[in-house]
This record gives sequence, structure tokens and C-alpha cells, in this order.
Amino acid sequence: MDLYEYQARQLLEKEDIPIPAALYARSSHEVAQAVESIGLPCVIKGQVKIGHRGQAGGVLLADTLDDAILDSEKILPMTIHGHKVNGVLVTEAKNIIHEYYVSISLDRASRDYDVLATVHGGTEVEDIAHNHPEDVKRLHINPLEDFDLEAATTMAKEIGFYHADVDQAAEILLKMWKVFKETDATLVEINPLAKIGNPDDESSKRLCALDAKISLDNNAAFRHPEWSEFIDAQNADPLEARAQKHGLHYVRLDGQVGVIGNGAGLVMSSLDAVAGAGEPSAASSLAIKPANFLDIGGGASADVMAESLDIVASDPHVSSILINVYGGLTSCKTVAQGILGAVESNGLTNPLVVRFDGNEATEGLQLLANANNPHIHVSDTMEDAAASAVSVAREWNGASDSTASTTERN
Amino acid sequence: MAMTPLFIGNDAPVIVQGMTGHEGMKHTARMLAAGTNIVGGTNPRKAGTSLSFDVNGSPVDVPVFGTVAEAMEKTGAQASVVFVPPRFAKSAVMESVDASMPLIVVITEGIPVADSAYFVASAVKKGLQIVGPNCPGLATFPAAPGTTGANLGIIPDGITQRGPLGLVSKSGTLTYQLMSELSDIGFTAALGAGGDPVVGTTLLDALKAFQADDATKACVLIGEIGGSAEQEAAQWAKEHMTKPVVAYIAGFTAPEGKQMGHAGAIVSGGKGTAQEKKVILEANGIRVGSTPGQTASIVRQVLAKLGE
Repeated sequence: MDLYEYQARQLLEKEDIPIPAALYARSSHEVAQAVESIGLPCVIKGQVKIGHRGQAGGVLLADTLDDAILDSEKILPMTIHGHKVNGVLVTEAKNIIHEYYVSISLDRASRDYDVLATVHGGTEVEDIAHNHPEDVKRLHINPLEDFDLEAATTMAKEIGFYHADVDQAAEILLKMWKVFKETDATLVEINPLAKIGNPDDESSKRLCALDAKISLDNNAAFRHPEWSEFIDAQNADPLEARAQKHGLHYVRLDGQVGVIGNGAGLVMSSLDAVAGAGEPSAASSLAIKPANFLDIGGGASADVMAESLDIVASDPHVSSILINVYGGLTSCKTVAQGILGAVESNGLTNPLVVRFDGNEATEGLQLLANANNPHIHVSDTMEDAAASAVSVAREWNGASDSTASTTERN
Repeated sequence: MAMTPLFIGNDAPVIVQGMTGHEGMKHTARMLAAGTNIVGGTNPRKAGTSLSFDVNGSPVDVPVFGTVAEAMEKTGAQASVVFVPPRFAKSAVMESVDASMPLIVVITEGIPVADSAYFVASAVKKGLQIVGPNCPGLATFPAAPGTTGANLGIIPDGITQRGPLGLVSKSGTLTYQLMSELSDIGFTAALGAGGDPVVGTTLLDALKAFQADDATKACVLIGEIGGSAEQEAAQWAKEHMTKPVVAYIAGFTAPEGKQMGHAGAIVSGGKGTAQEKKVILEANGIRVGSTPGQTASIVRQVLAKLGE
């Protein structure tokens, strides 16, 4: 789970990592109130879980109250790289002398923790690493070991903090490590970690975390009841939320063919098969794509299958639905009972294309055949099933939107 | 001629941690029916008792021990299969690591990655092998007469038989799918590496084992979005492998920043895409199938070329 900047700041603040004063606001009215307490000039920062928001116009400096309100009215309705802005942070503007980058993350390849820093902060880390690879300093921490003041001080010197800043930088690195370990994070990033203050007054200068990004490990949620406040109810997809309640993993995509399967790999593979079969061709210029990812898991019951179909069919963009099951623990017969339950009791009318293999596949297919339902089609292989689901979706979309398809044909 | 065991020796004694739980009991019965030599389970509250399993019509009693160390001492167990729920998984796996269990297969899904990183690092330090977590386990198909191999985990038995292929995969159902598509050819072993960001046996580790195994003639590698395990395996294979590897990658249509079921299956910062993996695999001489079915066809062509 990625946190918004205003949430990440709370976790840094708990460990006394210096951050600028700021208030979270959701309307221009709240922004006006926030400016009163933060003062001017201030920075209005759109809250989104995606990088490069500054270039997209999501961060603006305001010298007057009117500017602050106008800025927030620009930013609040924005969608940045597909992510809807969720409020703004009204932050005191600091005089920046220099910007550093520091992060601690889980390194999947070396299976340890990676402290990464550079004197060139302020932009995205990928750009920094690309432009100044020689200045990127890294320290790998073995999961059996700890990060201590000596290592942090050595690291701070290597990064290139000036004399007087080394101790403060080392302290911040250690505190970031504490945040990382105690919150079960997979990423704690401060960018920029800025040197702020009056250039002519040495005593005013200090380091301050001007922006932060934190990702938490979803698997550790059971030992962090306090994370409930981070759940993004406002931006949550209602179908994703409903699936989660049933312990199902559902991801909404933007196509027309619903996809249900057992096992994350097989479902991803089914999505790819649908997208492959749905590429525009000479016969049809309409691209057919998967509408969702839904994994019913291992050993799913008939009820789980019926609920899954109901969730997928609730997406108004879904026309046909591909059901791809390789029965290992899961019984294809049980899945067939779930399908029939959904069709018969819930009145589902979307065309279904079913492919069964493995455990009780024959029995499952027999049940479907006996039902003799015109909405249920059967295919032998995943590839055939995907092609069939695509061709049904193409007819359905062609018929429901004949103007569009005629235009496309011309 | 003595065979070098692939991952685990023929008929090696195995214990199950979490055997008395619902999942553990169900899968212990399955593993026994598949011929796995299960000699015990652990549960400190039920130590000294035993569980009776129906194995192809005849009852088999499996003793319950208080600790892994005791189970190893009494039975000589060489492997443990872990079915313990996420919140207790770290201490269960560490119990096996502390007892120096040579092979620990962790099936549990949903373990915090900090816990996995800790027990994997502990196992690496002691030279022990962890498979998983969040994996279907390991199935071996040894050639030695009178042995049925080891089925450690949840891979369904009876899909396939002994043959010249080695398979490693990040996904359970895609493992079964490819085993099924190539069931007539057969396998030396199928290893589920797992879908978590940190796993004990990487795709590369499995390729190393298959390269060292005389009976394995070609490998099937099933990857998915997230991380760079496929790329690292491919780079190693190009330099060190004499055996062909055929791959399949799932998740070409996965959007940025969305976790696709598995904890590790996520494209972040534009990295770990299926396309990036395919390009690097192909640049390292590994053919990548566009669907599981097409991947199986490529494997058949490759074997025909080898004269297998």
C-alpha cells in the first residue's frame, strides 16, 4: 500500500524527523483556513500516489491568500497520470540551499535492505541515477543485521553532506531506518531532504524532509491495526472493495471481456490471451481487451464462483466473460455449480466462455452441458476460449454501438 | 550408478509443520497418497499423539512431535513442509532453520516480507535451502525403481511422470498447466519458486540445480511481472548453461502499480514488465512462448532437436 505524502509525513513526524509545517485540505475553504495558520508564502501540493506531479502542475507556490485559493482550485480537480488528486497539502515555503535524495527500500534481487542516497535530490530517483550514476551511494543491510550510528555517519559522509550536516544527516538516516523497520515498510523515501535556511546566517541552516514517499507491506497489515486510517475509501474502486470483502483479488482494467480464473499466474495469462486475440485486425478495427483480473484462489467453493461472476458482471463495460480454471485443489465440478447458480438465480445474461482442465473437468463440463443454457459456451483450450470470448464481445460491442463501428470501418 | 539427488533424495523422510491444522491435514493426506515418505508432524500442544491418515485404503499413523529438533532426532527427517498461518510462519521456519533442516518448503501465502527476508537470510547463512514462501512446493520424479518421488506441498499428483524436463515457476496453476500440456514427455522435478518479492530458491537457483542434474535435458521457466528474477536467471543461463531453457511470462496486460494477485507481481516505476523480461530473455538465447500452449510446442521442438 502506497501512502499519500500527508500520511507519510505523519510517520516521519512520529520519529522526530524534521518536516515543514503543513496542513491537509480538501476544499478551497479549508485551504484558506490552512493558510491562516501556516502563513505566506506557502506551497500548495496536490496529493497523488504518483511521481512527476510537479511537472504536471500539481505543485504551486502562492505568495498571497488569493493565489493559494486559486492554486488549490486548479489542483483539487486534477487527475495526474491517471490518478485523481486527493486533497492538497498547504506547506510553509522554505528557502532551499541544497537538495539531497535518501531512501531505504527492500531490494528484491539481493534479498536485503538498500539505503540509497545522492547529493542530487529533487527529481525522480530514476532520473538522478541516470544522470549522475557516480554520485549514487548505496549501503546494503543484511536482514539479520542492524543499521547503527557509525554506519549511518560513514554513509552521510560518503553521500557528500557538509561537515556540520553530517551528524544531522546520520541521525535522519537512522530514524528513517526505524520508520522502515517499525512500520513494515518496503520503501521510505525522502526527496528532497533539503538544506534550508538563510544563506547568510549559518545558524539558521538545517536539514528538513520536504517530501516523502512510503510504501507499506500489505502482508503485514495483520500486525498494524493503525493502518485502517490509511485506507483510501474515497478513491477505492467499489468493485475492488467488494471483492476484497470476499477475500478475492480483483483488479479493474479498461476492456470489455471479464476474466475469472484460479491462481494469479493463470489469470494474468488469461488476460494476455484475451488481449492477444482481441488485437484489431483487417476483419475488425475494434480492439477487445480484458476488463478485469479476478483470482478465485485455490479450492474455491460454488458460492465464491457465483459471487465472482456477479462482481465481474457488475462492471457495465463487461460483455462476455472468460472463465479459465485448471483444477488442482479446485474442483471444476464445484466451479460449474457456481456458474449455474449465478446464471439461474442471479439472472446473469452475459455470454460465458468456459475452459476447464484438471480436477473433475469432465464432471464440470457435463454439468454445464446438461444445463443446456444458450449463454454458456465451452472451449477446450485457454487460447480457443480467449478467441471465442473476444469474438462474442466484438459482436456485442458492434451491435450495441453500430455508429461507432461503422465509422471505424470507414 | 549413484544418482545425485535433485533438491531431495529419493524416499527422504519428511515432516510437516502445521500438520494438525486444516490445510496441513488435507495436504499431508495428499502427499502421503502421492508416495511421499512423511514421518511426522509438529505441534507442541499435541506432542506425543499421532494422526491417522487413509492412504489408498490403508491407515497410516503419523506421530506428532513437540519441536522440529525432536522430530529430526527421532525420525532423521531431511525436509519440512510448512503450512503454518502467516502470523506464526516466521517462528515456525526459524525453528527448522535453528534445527538445521536441510530443505524447508514454505507453502504459506501472506507472510510479511520482513519475516521472509529474515528467515531466508538465516537459511542462507547456514547453507540450508528454503523453497517459497507463497509457492505450490516441489515435486520430484526420480528414476530409481521402487520410489515414487517426493511431493512436498500442494502440486496435484498424477498429472505427469518421469521424463527429461525440469520446471521452475513463480505460479502454481501455470505449473500444473505446463505439466499437463507436457505430461507425455515428463519431468525430473517441478519446483514452485513462489510469487512473493523475497523467496528462498530463486529461478536462477533452480536452473543451477537442473544444469547439475544429469537426467534433466531441458528446462521450462515460468515467470511473471515484478522484480528481476527472470532476467538474472537468463543472464546466468547464457553464460553457464549447456541445456536449453524455454520460458513463458505472464502479465503483458498488467497495469503499472497494481498488484496482480501475488505479492510480488507488480510493475513499479515502469520496471519488471513482462515485455522487459521477454526482451532480456530472448537476448540471452531463451525462447519465450506467447501462451502456455505455444510454450509447450516450443519445448517439444527443442527436445526433438536434442534427439530426446
